[in-house]
Amino acid sequence: MSTNNQITFVLNDELVNLNFSDQFGETPITTVLNYLRSRPGYAGSKEGCAEGDCGACTVVIGSLSDGQISYTAIDACLVFLPMLHGKQLLTVEHLGNSSHLHPVQSAMVETDGSQCGYCTPGFVMSLLALYKNYNNPSREVINDALTGNLCRCTGYRSIAEAAAISCANDGQDQFTARESDTAKLLASIDSSSIYIDTKKHVYFRPESLAETLDIKKEYPNILVINGATDIALRVTKLKEHLPEILDLGNVAELKEVKESEGAIHIGAGVVLEHMKTLVQDQFPALYDMLAVFGSKQIRELATLGGNIGSASPIGDIPPVLMAYNALIVLVGSDGERVIPMREFITGYRKTQQANDEIIKSVTLPLAEDNCKVQSYKISKRKDLDISTVSGGFSVTLGQDGQVTDVCLAYGGMADQIKRAAKTEAALIGKPWNRDSIEAATNLIDEDFKPISDARAEAEGRTVMARNLLMKFWSDTI
Amino acid sequence: MATEHESAKYHVTGEAIYVDDMQVSEQLLYGKVVYSPHAHARILSYDINKALTIDGVHAILTYKDIPGENQMGPVFHDEVVLAEDEVIFIGQAIFLIAAENKDIAEEAAKTIIIKYEVLPHVVTMEDAMKSGRLVQPQRKIENGNVDAARQEAANILNGELKTGAQEQWYLETQVALAHPGEGQELKVYSSTQHPSETQALIAEVLDIHKMEVEVEIRRMGGAFGGKETQANHTAIWASLLAVKTGKPVKICLGRDDDQIMTGKRHRFLMRYEAGFTDDGLITYMDVEQNADAGSSTDLSMAILERAMMHAENAYYVPNIRIIGNAWFTNLPSNTAFRGFGGPQGMVVIEEIIDRIARKLGKDARELRKLNFYGIDERNEAPYGQIVENTLLHTLYDQLLETSEYEKRREEINAFNAENEFIKRGMALSPVKFGISFTTSLLNQAGALAHIYKDGSVLINHGGTEMGQGLHTKIKDLAADELGLDPEQVKVNATSTAKVPNTSATAASAGADLNGMAVKNALDKLKRRIANSICDDFNKESTVQSKPEEIEFKGGKVFDSSNTDRSMDFAESIMKAYLNQVSLSATGYYKTPDIHFDREIGKGQPYYYYAYSMAVTEVEVDTLTGHYTNIRTDILHDVGNSLNTRVDIGQIEGGYIQGVGWCTTEECKWDKNGNLLNYSPDTYKIPNIQDIPKDFRINLLEGHPNGAKTIRRSKAVGEPPLMGALSCWLAIKDAVSAAGNHQIEPDFSLPATNEVILLSLDKIHRKLKSSE
Ligand SMILES: Cc1cc2nc3c(=O)[nH]c(=O)nc-3n(C[C@H](O)[C@H](O)[C@H](O)COP(=O)(O)OP(=O)(O)OC[C@H]3O[C@@H](n4cnc5c(N)ncnc54)[C@H](O)[C@@H]3O)c2cc1C
Ligand code: FES
Ligand code: FES
Repeated sequence: MSTNNQITFVLNDELVNLNFSDQFGETPITTVLNYLRSRPGYAGSKEGCAEGDCGACTVVIGSLSDGQISYTAIDACLVFLPMLHGKQLLTVEHLGNSSHLHPVQSAMVETDGSQCGYCTPGFVMSLLALYKNYNNPSREVINDALTGNLCRCTGYRSIAEAAAISCANDGQDQFTARESDTAKLLASIDSSSIYIDTKKHVYFRPESLAETLDIKKEYPNILVINGATDIALRVTKLKEHLPEILDLGNVAELKEVKESEGAIHIGAGVVLEHMKTLVQDQFPALYDMLAVFGSKQIRELATLGGNIGSASPIGDIPPVLMAYNALIVLVGSDGERVIPMREFITGYRKTQQANDEIIKSVTLPLAEDNCKVQSYKISKRKDLDISTVSGGFSVTLGQDGQVTDVCLAYGGMADQIKRAAKTEAALIGKPWNRDSIEAATNLIDEDFKPISDARAEAEGRTVMARNLLMKFWSDTI
Repeated sequence: MATEHESAKYHVTGEAIYVDDMQVSEQLLYGKVVYSPHAHARILSYDINKALTIDGVHAILTYKDIPGENQMGPVFHDEVVLAEDEVIFIGQAIFLIAAENKDIAEEAAKTIIIKYEVLPHVVTMEDAMKSGRLVQPQRKIENGNVDAARQEAANILNGELKTGAQEQWYLETQVALAHPGEGQELKVYSSTQHPSETQALIAEVLDIHKMEVEVEIRRMGGAFGGKETQANHTAIWASLLAVKTGKPVKICLGRDDDQIMTGKRHRFLMRYEAGFTDDGLITYMDVEQNADAGSSTDLSMAILERAMMHAENAYYVPNIRIIGNAWFTNLPSNTAFRGFGGPQGMVVIEEIIDRIARKLGKDARELRKLNFYGIDERNEAPYGQIVENTLLHTLYDQLLETSEYEKRREEINAFNAENEFIKRGMALSPVKFGISFTTSLLNQAGALAHIYKDGSVLINHGGTEMGQGLHTKIKDLAADELGLDPEQVKVNATSTAKVPNTSATAASAGADLNGMAVKNALDKLKRRIANSICDDFNKESTVQSKPEEIEFKGGKVFDSSNTDRSMDFAESIMKAYLNQVSLSATGYYKTPDIHFDREIGKGQPYYYYAYSMAVTEVEVDTLTGHYTNIRTDILHDVGNSLNTRVDIGQIEGGYIQGVGWCTTEECKWDKNGNLLNYSPDTYKIPNIQDIPKDFRINLLEGHPNGAKTIRRSKAVGEPPLMGALSCWLAIKDAVSAAGNHQIEPDFSLPATNEVILLSLDKIHRKLKSSE
């Protein structure tokens, strides 16, 4: 792999070659937002938080596949520049101007969707992605598309209305007209591996698994990223330098999805928004969790592997994977190995993954007919919030209606995702009725000694954990 | 008339320029504030030498580098610009760094070494009240005879209620850009609601005349009170660095720093007692309001005053005593936030009525109606003002009908009877909000209007635009006064060089005050133009046009009693110019007939009241504590609306912001005084999923303001926020349903899902123990 130190992308409709060997200016961990705002004429995208929570920085990414461009809204404050390689970056400046508005812009004017206007460019870009992808979206789809954008002025009703008005058509606009030219530009970019080595940073973005594993072996301490929705905050908030990065975002093998008898295998690099559609029919509990996971902008970036790999005690996917008894497939220089999700996490942000390994995929077995699976997330705000307490639960009932197997995996109750072992044990062999549940909930206090923090006090968490068990019961009878 | 926001097209295209977006010369330096990590400590020593040697660092300032006064308290001078030998809250500025880019500034900050001796501190309300340390003397407002009423009361109820702090969370964080000019000149672009005060404080801190400092603001990316006084800080710091380095300096606080360093809506702890008849009529109320002022006074006394003057909200309480205390804590000084103490003041009486209703087994809305201020009697406010032209009864009758309250109440009862884990609740709550700064002299405004030779009009006024649509209203108004299309009028960026000595754009009074001042300026210009064109009309003619009969309409200027005598507006301007008439005029306005005597707590502090009423219905999942706002109906009084589109936007946005305060927005501190919810990761303002599924807003029609305001309109900025109390009460009603309305829920504000669940847990335990 040669050091190219350069990335290429299309900024609106112009091909940009960015070279990182310059001593000043951009580095491989400069965020797209900072890059834009430092350029004359690109101050439209705003910074409201630099952590993916407000959407003021929303831009749209155009990606080429099979000759077609698909458009997704993402938070520019979380994206490192090399991740743009081979893509189109659309910014609010390119959408229209005050004398020629794009339909989503004129709808925002018409419905009074802006007051102070600071959130507005971000909303407009989220609306653009909606406009390009949906024709007559339902209110649910609109809300989902705008969950990642905060507005402190309007109260949102007007913005939702702008979405409904502007997206009531087939999404034709100036981008449609230029699509084939843009596709040609994008196709002209060599999308193979990227290797950036400046004095201060090495940044790899390999295209194959083999390369990835070689790099991992050569740089044992290299920081692996995929969507970087976790890791970017170390740059934007903690001001860390992150000298060595291995970016998995371009590894084709990690994006594979396969189906086999009674199971689906999802690559670790699959982004959660895509995963949501993959699991919708067969794994409703996982779907439910993904529906309240971050925001659409986050889910377009965040990956399955990243959520498991961060091994956070409040990560939302692991408890549900535990409930479905999923398997984690690791790959390293010595090949692959498979570990049940229920055993994968070993401590606070610790897993069974070895230093030369990465997560390759997850195998999700279909639940048996007599097994009921549900997921729950309690957070201060229902959407775009981190769990205060979460649960991935499954219960299998024998023919006599008694519990033969139960998994109660909780997030937010300990320093890792943890099963309520005593509570589970107490339920085995019991009938699945209210008395059993009420008796079992008392054991939650023995299973967990949660902490108090910004999200809730220990007492509140314990009540939540108990309640979730009751909710699980009431939802499965 | 309802035009779109004057900047809407710039907002949606990203063309709108905010302070952080301004193109500045390559010399621009980035300012960084180094602040205290301790709630209270003595600074023993520090070392900035190493940081100073870093390439790209241009200056590091300490308090010793301040040329003038080390003071930035807006009303009381009890707040230093940079800490001297003691720090009194986490986030207090100690050093200022100017560097060539943000990374260098960060690096320099990390290199500075400070040694502290940690001292005892006060963080909780309880500790603050125990400490006995008030930031200013206690206040009292009293009417009737509470002690006598207590003796006679048929029923007495008492309690304690806590309300939480609220972060303004303007999308645009605090930002200022200071540009040194020649000599002592300084031009400061500051995202401030109060340019004149920003200017004054910069001048005092730099020890230069105010004439040397120009503060300008085109627009803010939201403010909500958070930039009324505390925008001054960033502007002062940037100015100090700019003067020191001789280069333009910008400080834009990162989100976390903004949340950590700046003040919030005051936390309150209220203790109350109330007497009531068996019918639920309140006979007396005795309230002690304890506000968390933070580490300096800032606007706390004015906020407390408003809280005290809204303690009775929409209700007549014949015997009332309100004690107000603003306590010192080792936290950033709390400050203005939309409502300005009003919400905290009102919530107590709303809670009292809610509790009485539960006790008497009645629907709370009946008791609200029973206790409303009367029309001709039962209409004296605790501070002596007569509440005239009350619209409470009108709003109530209409809203009860349009919200289908009765029918829905029955449906809710039926629903609750059938569902164990999901409960519904509903509440109606009124708002009566006094309009005017309670410091009467602040109720003044200035304007400066120019008409150019092409007939285009430039309006300057003292108000600032933060999204509330003030410039839109002013532009429409000016256009209408001159008979022009709004496109022919422009409202300029607010500048202290154009209109001096202005008051903050606050207290919802922006359009009331500045609208009148602008009208005053335009009246002068119209008179001059009328005189000038009459001279022309009357020349060599026996028919005499009279200036007072000249009208400005439809782009024309004409003699209303002789409409043949007419010309285009632009032509009349050119004529006036040729006639050597001044086409620039200042305008001025002060609110008449208001006064308030703080010593005795009596007066006529408000020019008028704005009214609103809201009904909210929610559904609470009693196992997760999550709630859904099913439907909200608001009927709101804006008098004759200046712009219905702007006003509806204010009502919707204000309500949702209030809902945030009432539900998900929680500020917690650890025992060391660290704010735990210092970023949007843990501080949750409402998002699109939190708004009512069915949101119905109506403006009350046919009720022009009884007071002589501009176009008989009413202020709209703050009042809608308090409609959100209906949401808090509705959640409480749903929780109460879990105990069949027999048990008073243990509640506080915000009603986070944790508060809801703990409250339900207590109810369930009480139910169990009584089984
Ligand atoms: C605004 C916002 C909202 C969020 N909301 C939620 C939420 O609702 N629920 C939730 O659970 N999380 C949430 N997160 C956290 C984060 O988005 C998720 O954990 C996400 O799944 C991480 O995926 P990523 O690809 O972005 O990971 P990255 O940031 O790229 O990596 C995260 C960690 O995983 C490791 N990793 C990545 N890929 C692999 C791999 N293939 N093999 C081994 N290790 C790997 C990395 O080394 C790193 O340690 C949120 C984050 C933000 C900023
Ligand atoms: S700046 Fe808030 S999401 Fe990017
Ligand atoms: S318009 Fe001000 S934050 Fe949305």
